[in-house]
Amino acid sequence: MKKITYYAGNIFLLFVALLCVLPFLYMMIMSLKSTINAYDFRFSFSAVTFEHYEKILSNSTFIRYFLNSVIVAAAGVALTLFTSCTAGYAFAKLKFKGNDRIFLLLILTMLVPSEIILVPLYLIVRGFGWANTFKALILPLPTAFGVFIMRQAILSVPNELIDSAKIDGASDFRILRCVVLPLVKSAMLTLAIFTFIGAWNNFTWPLIITTKDYMRTLPLALTSMQTQYDVDVGLTMACSAVAFLPPFIFYLLLQSKFEAGVALSGMKG
Amino acid sequence: MKKKSGFLSKCMPYAYITPISLILITFVFCSLIVAIIFSFTKYNIIAPAEFNGLFNYEKLLRDKKLHLCILNTLKITAIAVPLQILVSTILATLISTRKDKLVGKIAKAALFIPVLSSNAVVGTVWKAILNSRNPMVQTFFGIFGIDPSMLLGSSTSALVTLALIMVWKGMGYYMIITLSSLMSISDSYYEAAKVDGANKWNLLTGITIPMLKPTLILNTFLSVVSCMQAFDIVYTMTGGGPSMSTTTLVMYAYQLTFKGAKAGYAMTVSNVLMAIVLVIVLFQQRFMRREASEI
Repeated sequence: MKKITYYAGNIFLLFVALLCVLPFLYMMIMSLKSTINAYDFRFSFSAVTFEHYEKILSNSTFIRYFLNSVIVAAAGVALTLFTSCTAGYAFAKLKFKGNDRIFLLLILTMLVPSEIILVPLYLIVRGFGWANTFKALILPLPTAFGVFIMRQAILSVPNELIDSAKIDGASDFRILRCVVLPLVKSAMLTLAIFTFIGAWNNFTWPLIITTKDYMRTLPLALTSMQTQYDVDVGLTMACSAVAFLPPFIFYLLLQSKFEAGVALSGMKG
Repeated sequence: MKKKSGFLSKCMPYAYITPISLILITFVFCSLIVAIIFSFTKYNIIAPAEFNGLFNYEKLLRDKKLHLCILNTLKITAIAVPLQILVSTILATLISTRKDKLVGKIAKAALFIPVLSSNAVVGTVWKAILNSRNPMVQTFFGIFGIDPSMLLGSSTSALVTLALIMVWKGMGYYMIITLSSLMSISDSYYEAAKVDGANKWNLLTGITIPMLKPTLILNTFLSVVSCMQAFDIVYTMTGGGPSMSTTTLVMYAYQLTFKGAKAGYAMTVSNVLMAIVLVIVLFQQRFMRREASEI
């Protein structure tokens, strides 16, 4: 009896796993089939074609979308790491008036769901004259969650290390760079991955703040593709695959960091 | 000289927190203030805003479309949240007993793939699958007596389909949170209970569920808040249709601003949603604190 429930559990898990993977498998297969036999569902390796990938990669608008996504995600990661590490260090290790109160105030912003403030955020950013600029796409990316993670990580750095560096005459910034940050690399990596995925997958904000083709990002290409080439499933699937692969590859390389990050994001509530 | 460096070192901490503070103040706090101010105006994002008092708030009560959107949002939440929590908890329990086995590892890895892909990709791919006349897809849905190509086309099933896809996308996320809290339950509790002669059912109801309760409450609230602000998956899959049957509150605010030129009213609508979410969050804090004090 015990054995049977155990194997039933195994079968259920494998079924769910399959259910999670199949749509992406479908995406990959369709993206590798030529348009002519898109509705012929036999799959053979001899019929594999890269025509869709060739087509989108030779399309300069698509390349631009891709580059924009890369720039926004990379700059977003850099900015988030910089702002979160400096602030996390100050909140964890430096004494100043209002430390706890300011931290609490910043953390409160995590309660504000990002989709709800879209319209006012749009008005503010447009008011700065930043519509259709990288500034608009990148600057709103850092969140209080980053500060929270880094503060948490830096709190565990022993004070003795910092004090002895101080006695050696190191400045605060040098202590942060040479003593503290090397010890919290793991938290930085987790934060970097999460920011990357968030920025890369971000759909709503770029949709609203960019109107010009040359500033749009990859997820937006998917919806515009759908309207432009409604019939060409292969092409849409190839685009989806290009948007899907970077986070997926990161995941394959750094699975444990992802799980650590999700577990942490559960803590923030 | 010494005094100057003292002054400097007093200011330095503020320099460290300035960048993030500036960003959060400009983009989050100011947004909240702007939303409140503009919710009392008539504003079409081109001509200057005109103050019109409580007009927008009165309109909330009369706006039939808004009521429909609130209903849609609540329906999505009501369908997705219980399923999401139930499925993710079952999966986490199953995986935790198989965590070193291949099955457990495969399931954990596979479940996370939908989580890390963007809503735009998920929406596009699912839409392509449902609309394809793929015999395999048709047979699969045929088992349940469903014609997949009708799912997004009919106003009765589109909303349910969206909710189910949201469950599919999010269950891995909540599974990981539940799993990590399951792992943190010390084995010594179970061993002590076993010594006292507890059976499997006692262990589940006496240890696992009470210890898991804070996590389940947290998951529920996270899931509710994310369902309440559903937008991008709706946008890519149905665009709010057919005949507004899947227009959520955020979708409605988006349409009001960018299609209807009613940004002032759109912000009134967002404020309602913000208020709902705040109440939920406060409720959660209260709930969690009580849980914490019980343990």
